[in-house]
Amino acid sequence: MISNKVCILGAGSTKYGKLSESIIEIALSAAKDAIESAGITPKDIQAGYISNVFGIADKQVHMAPVIMSNLGISHVPGLTIESACGSGSVMFREAYANVAAGFYDCVLALGVEKVTHTGTAHSTTLFSYCSDFFYEGGNGASFPGLFASMARAYMTTHKATEEDLANVAVKNHENGVLNPKAHVRKKITVDDVLKSPVVASPLKLLDCCPFSDGASAAILCSEEFARKSGRPYVEIIGSGRGASPAAVQGREDITTIPSTVAAARQAYKMAGITPKDIDFAEVHDCFTIAEIIDIEDLGFFPKGKAAHAVRDGATRLAGEIPINPSGGLKSKGHPIGATGVGQVVEVFDQFTGRAGERTVRDAEIALTHNFGATGASAAVHIFKKVDRK
Amino acid sequence: MMEKLADHHPKSGSRERFIAAANRKKILANKCVKCGHLMLETVLFCEKCSGGKFEDVELEGSGTVVTYTIQTVAPEGFEDAGSYAWVVFKIDNAQLRASGFLSGIQTPKDLPIGTRVRVTGYDSKHGLMLQKQ
Repeated sequence: MISNKVCILGAGSTKYGKLSESIIEIALSAAKDAIESAGITPKDIQAGYISNVFGIADKQVHMAPVIMSNLGISHVPGLTIESACGSGSVMFREAYANVAAGFYDCVLALGVEKVTHTGTAHSTTLFSYCSDFFYEGGNGASFPGLFASMARAYMTTHKATEEDLANVAVKNHENGVLNPKAHVRKKITVDDVLKSPVVASPLKLLDCCPFSDGASAAILCSEEFARKSGRPYVEIIGSGRGASPAAVQGREDITTIPSTVAAARQAYKMAGITPKDIDFAEVHDCFTIAEIIDIEDLGFFPKGKAAHAVRDGATRLAGEIPINPSGGLKSKGHPIGATGVGQVVEVFDQFTGRAGERTVRDAEIALTHNFGATGASAAVHIFKKVDRK
Repeated sequence: MMEKLADHHPKSGSRERFIAAANRKKILANKCVKCGHLMLETVLFCEKCSGGKFEDVELEGSGTVVTYTIQTVAPEGFEDAGSYAWVVFKIDNAQLRASGFLSGIQTPKDLPIGTRVRVTGYDSKHGLMLQKQ
């Protein structure tokens, strides 16, 4: 069905955190890094794919033409895609599909978000509009609340504990300390998590990712374009999309996310591999419970077993399947429009010798997983390191 | 073969009618005329058989707690709600779940999974109101 191979030739991110620049300046900073790392000029870009959710909070929607104009390529078509916290990966899939289909040889995929200036209370309200609002936000559930309800269901079904969830946060902060661009670079303990203030029981403050500003960008191109560049690149070998009922109440089993399962199945099939072949993964850990559910749904661990695996260190940087070497959403941060692209940036950095101390040794195949809301939209991608020798 | 789209106009004001039913302590559901499958609120096509004709069914607004959270940090609009839970519950005599607002819940001891709840009405500020049975 898909004939053309697609590669990542360059990638870059701003620091994630509270940023003072405008949303457009943040976006352009990531674009510049990606363009420079690919060794191209903006004139090589034939289309721009932008992901963003709350541009309106910084008085800018219809962002693609503004970004293209500021890159000096106002004639290049762009579009802006929104799928809540999954916007980045959902947009990346469209950029991928258009290059794979042969419409373009080289495109920019850029995700950006800026919300911290609106304050925590208003950001929480904005995010709640990503839920099925009539049933969820409208009845008093915040996003931590929705994931807390999933956590309670999981803990009841699989006898997991609050300590089990805390282990995810501890591990991701351990990795994030090694990432200079991470939002929260601070080592924490299980005790710190358990003693942090309750946000929505059973989730506490340190079970939750921060609100972040930031942008991430990648240059996608055809294999021929990548080869001719003479530069290091990464090949996309699998791509999958999935969907789930928009509301948590619509799911018969609240301890799994159907969109993840479907997207992963497609991506593994396309790549011709199984979960055992993945050397590391960047997954959607907006809350600690999400990572537990993700790594089961992605097939790394049997249902109900992930909490034990995390406790035993299997997902640490030197473990059997390192999860979120970047620090994940939990520590690296979660600028929601950028997150899915930021995961791709991490894979590019890991495979091109730019990940420093958090480099996963001998890794050749990596997976990214990102979803919107409580998993209503999801995308999974699989990447292969290309040996240029 | 799908039926003609002309047959599938959304029912006007279905959300208002859901709210009116909640105020009578009922849950308004749509029953697929073709296969009998139940879905909540506004639907155009049945998720099981793609049938496009539905009849209103008012289910008794009672059920059992499937999962919930105690929303310690309340979102905007709920700051004055006191300690409350957002609850997913399975509606009695149907394979359907709904969610609502249950005030007065302080700790998980107040609301074990499986607790029986019932709909008491719909509040313009806090949504579908529940109480423990």
